[in-house]
Amino acid sequence: MMPAMEGYWNQLRRTRVWKSVFRSGTGTSNLHRSQVVQQSIFLHLLAVKVRKRAISFRVTWYLGTLSTATFAILVITGIPLMLYYHPSAPQAYADMKDLQFVVTAGVFLRNLHRWSAHAMVLLVFAHMFKVFYRGAYRTPREFNWVVGVILLTLTLFLSYTGYLLPWDQLAFWAITVGSNLLSAVPLVGEKVRFLMLGGHTVNANALLRFYVLHCVILPAVAVMFLAIHFWRIRKDGGIHTGELKAAVKEDIPHA
Amino acid sequence: MPEPPRFIATLDSNSRRTPVRIAFLTRRTSPQVKVADDDVVMTWPNGMFRALVAIELLVIALIWLSVLWDAPLEALADPMQTPNPAKAPWYFLGLQELLHYFPPIVAGVLIPGLVVMALVVVPYFNINVEAEGVWTKNRQMRLRVFVVTLFAMIALLLAFKVYAVLAPTLLIGAAMLAAARPHPNRRFAIWLASKPLSYWIVTWFLITASVLTIIGTFFRGPGWAWVWPWEL
Amino acid sequence: MRKFLIKLRQTLFGDSARAFGTLGIVMLLSMAVVPLRDQLREWSPYQNQYLKMIGGRADAVSLRRRFESGIHQIYNPKLGVVDRCTTCHTGMQEASLRNVSLQPLNAHPPIPHRLQDFGCVICHRGQGAATSVEEAHHSSRASEQPMLPARYVESSCGQCHLDRSPGTPSLNTGRNLLASYGCVRCHVVTLPDGAKITPTDDPPELTHIAEKTTREWVYGWLKSPQSYSATATMPNYQFKDDELRDISAFLVPQSPTPASAPPLAPAPPDAATLQAGASLYGESFCASCHAVQNAAGLMVGGNVGPELTRIGMKAKPAWLAKWIGNPKVYDPGTEMPHYRFDEKQIALITGFLGSKTDSDWMSGIHLDAPTNQQIARGKQLVSASGCTSCHVIDGLPKSENFAPELTVVGSLPLVKALFKPGMDHSLPAYIEAKIREPRSLGPGLKMPQFSLSPAQVQALTTALLAQTDRARTLPPSMRVAGVYPTPYEPAGEAGRLMRDLNCFTCHAINGHGGDMAPDLTWEGTSVQRVWLFKFMKNPNTLRPALIRRMPKFNLDDHEANVITDYLMTVYQTPAFDRDETVTHADKAEAENGRQLFYSKYACQSCHIVDPKQDKGYIGPTLTAVGSRMNAAWIFHWLKGPAALRARTLEPNWSMSDTDARELTAFLVAQKGQSAKMGNKP
Repeated sequence: MMPAMEGYWNQLRRTRVWKSVFRSGTGTSNLHRSQVVQQSIFLHLLAVKVRKRAISFRVTWYLGTLSTATFAILVITGIPLMLYYHPSAPQAYADMKDLQFVVTAGVFLRNLHRWSAHAMVLLVFAHMFKVFYRGAYRTPREFNWVVGVILLTLTLFLSYTGYLLPWDQLAFWAITVGSNLLSAVPLVGEKVRFLMLGGHTVNANALLRFYVLHCVILPAVAVMFLAIHFWRIRKDGGIHTGELKAAVKEDIPHA
Repeated sequence: MPEPPRFIATLDSNSRRTPVRIAFLTRRTSPQVKVADDDVVMTWPNGMFRALVAIELLVIALIWLSVLWDAPLEALADPMQTPNPAKAPWYFLGLQELLHYFPPIVAGVLIPGLVVMALVVVPYFNINVEAEGVWTKNRQMRLRVFVVTLFAMIALLLAFKVYAVLAPTLLIGAAMLAAARPHPNRRFAIWLASKPLSYWIVTWFLITASVLTIIGTFFRGPGWAWVWPWEL
Repeated sequence: MRKFLIKLRQTLFGDSARAFGTLGIVMLLSMAVVPLRDQLREWSPYQNQYLKMIGGRADAVSLRRRFESGIHQIYNPKLGVVDRCTTCHTGMQEASLRNVSLQPLNAHPPIPHRLQDFGCVICHRGQGAATSVEEAHHSSRASEQPMLPARYVESSCGQCHLDRSPGTPSLNTGRNLLASYGCVRCHVVTLPDGAKITPTDDPPELTHIAEKTTREWVYGWLKSPQSYSATATMPNYQFKDDELRDISAFLVPQSPTPASAPPLAPAPPDAATLQAGASLYGESFCASCHAVQNAAGLMVGGNVGPELTRIGMKAKPAWLAKWIGNPKVYDPGTEMPHYRFDEKQIALITGFLGSKTDSDWMSGIHLDAPTNQQIARGKQLVSASGCTSCHVIDGLPKSENFAPELTVVGSLPLVKALFKPGMDHSLPAYIEAKIREPRSLGPGLKMPQFSLSPAQVQALTTALLAQTDRARTLPPSMRVAGVYPTPYEPAGEAGRLMRDLNCFTCHAINGHGGDMAPDLTWEGTSVQRVWLFKFMKNPNTLRPALIRRMPKFNLDDHEANVITDYLMTVYQTPAFDRDETVTHADKAEAENGRQLFYSKYACQSCHIVDPKQDKGYIGPTLTAVGSRMNAAWIFHWLKGPAALRARTLEPNWSMSDTDARELTAFLVAQKGQSAKMGNKP
């Protein structure tokens, strides 16, 4: 069965249509494999070759990849959710009820979005600590570390702005508690809070602002920084795999 | 009369000429290869498929999580009714827990501001970049500074009764003192001694933040009073 | 086996491409669970059950045609209603399924509203948007209240209905009780139309309490008001004995005792005087307003004034005499009329009332002279208990909003309610418990214990549950307006007299006043002046079946003339002229009228014209109607009684003009002899 399927597969890949889409062709040579990466708009941010150690689980735990994956899930589930959602109080809450009780698979969509959001925050934090512990922030990767810190704060803001959107008690008071912290900032705190909420309290204006931030501004900024982040991985010499044991030993004092 | 140089290095922006890279060796250094490069493999398919498998596992986990557990949805937002306790999203509960001990200006502004600042400057500190064990040089001097700092922190935390932070601080402090023993011989001791200052600080931060977040999430009830998770 | 497993693992996960493919299939299968889960929702078995049930019925075809599978909803944006209850309660609107007793498939019982106009949760509460049984009925994770127990469902009517609709007896009673038990003196209750419920009880001012009663009585009364008077609406504050001592110490001496020494208490009356007092009490129809508990423990008498079973324990004889002489001196707002009794009559009644005592009650109360410390503590207790919400007390300001406002208590979130262990965790249960046993819900609660029957508690709960947020946000066009009494004050000297006599406690004018006695709106058109003057001087009964009649107020000629003139001039109908000539009252007409009276209309079944043969005891006696009423009134009354008095028992005969004229001629001829008819000369 297997060889037959492989035959069909190769036949498909030889067709003119396939070739017009995927220019890499059918071969399994390194050239062809390089072309797969080079000629894809999505993959060309990556290098054609990677260190063998860099793709092992031990080095990265794939935390960066998985963070990106959760971001993708969030975009994919977020767009259909936008179709059912009105950023106005209290209609937003009624929309949650409709998702829960009427919309086909609505509850699943919302669950997946919410759990993925929590997973993303968790994975991004884990990614940061993992990067730190294997020393991957050192020269020449300093700036990419900074980009990572920016992405971490963007992740937190994305999650935080999304938290308000269901307009239930949990959302309202979580945002109230969080935004009250801003007031403690000297001089500008109150003003920044007013700017963020569009008022002195969490209200319909805040809901609209958070909606726009959550669905347009922050994702757009995040995508931009993600692109920089990926690009810099490659430009800074690929995934940092740490020094060889022998090299480390030289630094051990009094040994 | 000095011997004229055998070649002249220039900067050229003529794009038609292939640039040549030259290594300049100054005196008292010799070329050495610190790390032998690893084997390399093709990104496609070796790297890509591994990544895709990881992503698939994640998606499967999230799908089942979503099928089995519904996202919380409480009553309609009502500004007149404050739930007790009103909790921020979980990743801010560490901060909210700190608010319980310190004034808002410290817990809400100073500490998170310092953390973000510290994260940004991490790669720009030589001490980090060199990755030396913290006690390698100037041991006596550093030990003195460290003990003073540690006691100051302990006093501060005791003064504000922040036992949730005190415990990780004592733990890390003890570990660092253990690492400071001269002439480590066992493997573990050698490993401890090799850890730079930044390692200790980040580990302390990781443990403290985790403890605070867990306490804020699971151990805080009405009036931010201590409760056990099964009482919530 | 082991080999096979190794091979399997090799095939499925041998390299990362294989693992990718295998996991991809697992992923797709997992995703397939999602629409499957959607198919298995709770409502779908109910719809299948419904289809199965109607399948066996004669009207299966039409029922099936009206049925659509999937989620049903009643949507009314104007009311903010999105009710999906009909998804499971499928047959709700099928009148032919009313006899089905199988929930949730049966039809709704008939109600005066269309389900599509109102949805379900406006009346029943619960979470209309939900499509799962638990969330729709118990609404445990939403702000909507859980479903209302059926016995309180009238409360939902009260969100729109501010009229006293006959369909909502419990709600109406509850709203009356809120006013008559003084609930609204401490709690503000604003109805959905913005009108505050105003109290209808009349708690006495305590500024002259020392003149009226003793410190021992105050102690005994506060200890248990209902032990003194079973009908007392005053709640029991459950004071401790030392608190009672201090409160009475503060209340009684703080009011000024009369400057002049009170007249000596009359000597205890002998049996004959007591008997005379009792009959004067009866003749003056005191019992129309005041009740007395008889030996069997039953209340005999009206409930307008306070119960008098133990009045002798309470009122000092001197005060009682002064009060009966003219109550308006002591309390200008009292509903008690100013009987013009002479000294002797006052003494008789005072003696009779003074004899109404109870040797058991108050027997154990002995109070020493109060200390200043006790008085100070008493004042503090009076102030902290909110006594001044109802009573005027010297030296203490009236307390405003002493208790929480209850305007939206029907939407109170459960987190703000108190529950004792074992109690149903619902708003109706909380409100009910709060009314029934207010102090049982926790320590430090101030609300006193009221004496209410279970039906009254349910009525009050119903009335309070109607005070919802929704009631205030419904479109005003939906509201059925309430009828509120507007103040009515007749002018001039006659007005003063009518206030003095409190005519409107019993009589009504244009909807103002009580319903104990005939409506006087068109009295001036109805009766003749001479008769009215005589009636004022010496009222007698017009209805043979009634013993009760207007009390004799002992008016002098001047007073009787003033009132008579006012009634004759002001209370006239604009519909016709009372002096209009409707009949020439000749013999022939009167004779035809007699025929009509006795045969065609058989008036004698309710009225008496000839006391010897007629046996009509329902309507007024007509023996002297010719000297009492105006011909024009009789004529128009016969033509259409309901137009002249809305709720009369007189049937509408649709009488021809000729018949009416001939009957009028017969009736005006009945001049009678009033002396013969009255039960007192």
